[in-house]
Amino acid sequence: MAMAAGRASRVRPRWRGREARLLVVVVVVLAVGWLGLASTVAGELTIGQPAPLVVLAVMLGVVHVALVVDGRRRDQVLLPVVGLLMGLSLLLMSRLPQDLVVQSLAGVELSLAGIQLLWIGLSLAVAATVAVGLRNDLWLRSYKYTWAVAGIALLLLVFVLGQETNGARLTLRIGPFAGQPSELLKIILVVFLAAYLADNRALLAGRDSRLGPLRLPPLPYLLPMLVIWGLALATVVVQRDLGAALLFYGVFLLLLYVATQRRDLLAFGVVLFVVGGLVLYTLFPHVQDRVAIWLDPFATAQGAGFQIVRGLFALGRGGVLGTGLGGGLPTVGSGPSIPAVHTDFVFDALGEELGLAGGLAILALYALFAERGLRIAAGARDEFRTLLAAGLTLVIVVQAAIIVAGNAKLIPLTGITLPWIAYGGSSMLAGGIILGLLLAVAVEDRPGAAIERVGWRERLGDASRAAAGRVERVVR
Amino acid sequence: MDPLDLTLWLLRLAFLAGIYGFLVLVIRALRRDLRQASDAADRPLGRLVVVGSPSGDPAPGAAYLLAAANTIGRDVNNTIVLDDSFTSGRHAALTYRGRSWYVEDLGSTNGTRLGGQAISAPTPLAWGDVVEVGQVRFRLERPGGR
Repeated sequence: MAMAAGRASRVRPRWRGREARLLVVVVVVLAVGWLGLASTVAGELTIGQPAPLVVLAVMLGVVHVALVVDGRRRDQVLLPVVGLLMGLSLLLMSRLPQDLVVQSLAGVELSLAGIQLLWIGLSLAVAATVAVGLRNDLWLRSYKYTWAVAGIALLLLVFVLGQETNGARLTLRIGPFAGQPSELLKIILVVFLAAYLADNRALLAGRDSRLGPLRLPPLPYLLPMLVIWGLALATVVVQRDLGAALLFYGVFLLLLYVATQRRDLLAFGVVLFVVGGLVLYTLFPHVQDRVAIWLDPFATAQGAGFQIVRGLFALGRGGVLGTGLGGGLPTVGSGPSIPAVHTDFVFDALGEELGLAGGLAILALYALFAERGLRIAAGARDEFRTLLAAGLTLVIVVQAAIIVAGNAKLIPLTGITLPWIAYGGSSMLAGGIILGLLLAVAVEDRPGAAIERVGWRERLGDASRAAAGRVERVVR
Repeated sequence: MDPLDLTLWLLRLAFLAGIYGFLVLVIRALRRDLRQASDAADRPLGRLVVVGSPSGDPAPGAAYLLAAANTIGRDVNNTIVLDDSFTSGRHAALTYRGRSWYVEDLGSTNGTRLGGQAISAPTPLAWGDVVEVGQVRFRLERPGGR
């Protein structure tokens, strides 16, 4: 009874003023964008049909209210930043040819923007649920091997039953539902790595075994991690999902560095990466193709290099300030201007319409997300939470870096999504889970809050004993 | 110039300006947080107020400002030096880890007690808890002192 009362007083709503203000700014900015987009398309000043934007604004508001009602103090910047990225996604998807994706759901025909809005909504719902509902992370860290095995089993399932899209076997279809488990796997892998590194950090920082000039952590402790990671990587490579392989490798290496603070391990990992890359290059023809396209896309401008070439043209058309939303070149002939523009080339599409200025702003949004995520990691309560927050942040940042660099022909293109912007249900849901987990880790408790709750009864006991003692003295 | 083109051009600039405005607001929020964090790093994290000492030294009511790691004992190398015959050379440690305080006995002869109970492992503390080191009793208080 008394405990229940104590708990109830702890969940008082707490205003989140900064988040509310930033969300208002986000919605206003998106409304201006929508106005420009609709007017450009219609050729007259009009707001068009702003229903999707209103829905997005309402959904962001609902998540905000959920966090306010929850009442625990936590980060107020992540939600607006992610909200703006989602809004940009909605603007872009509303602007691309709608027949890129058509699905009918329960008799209702949905096209690109509608489906994306649905996924954004689900993603925000997942984020709010995880952020508010995840109070105890023990089940996350205790069952780390179960998580790892489940993730890899999921991947193997895809390998056996999956469907091929664009030469890669990524999609798992069960009835009407289709998903890309590698999106989920990256979260599972981070959870596993964070739990493993948190448990064995001290041992891994040691230098017990030698490999040539290098002193490595004791091998028995390195092995389980390497096996799990190798399995995940091998599965991904066999599935030809090079983007995910690169992402896993990068996040693994950076997280290892965060946990052990050892630069020699980082250098060793980079050397391994170069060796691995050379091996993959000689073994797999599709890797050679990718590199050849990257070195000179114009040599095969009408064939394999077509996508990259169109993407570069789009960036060039954009210039510094862009063509304006709706002012770009959406279609050439019957197809979209850039093949797979809604999944792999969103950055080039946005770069065309928002220009260099808009592209840099998008990169800045990811940079701010990174600052925020790593700050949450630095202030987290324990080691597992620190590594979890750092790992999730790194997943987003490394993923964005890989695909943006690929789009801009800085590195060979590997098809992964731009987090929160690209079209795709699995990617959007994974983004929602990551946002939710970060917001859950970001919860700040008052100093001694947890202890006060335990000490409360004792304190009452102390008080009653003191009172009893005084009474006794008076009586005597 | 066509008024529609002008409007669209202005809308385009307004949209970009809006995104950059948002970035500026977020960066300002981050800077404020950073400044608060660095201020907090300089400020003491708590106060240890003497509530009772049989020898009268330190005097009851005296307060020690606490950094993140503090040791208590008779040796001069401790952050809080107690001239008390019941206190060991290195007696107890008070550390601020994560977001709460912990008290730990460093193998003292007469023990460290929290709320009258001798402690054997690092034990979390709440504001207002009374810690006994030898014969001296301290109360942990917020740095502001309320």
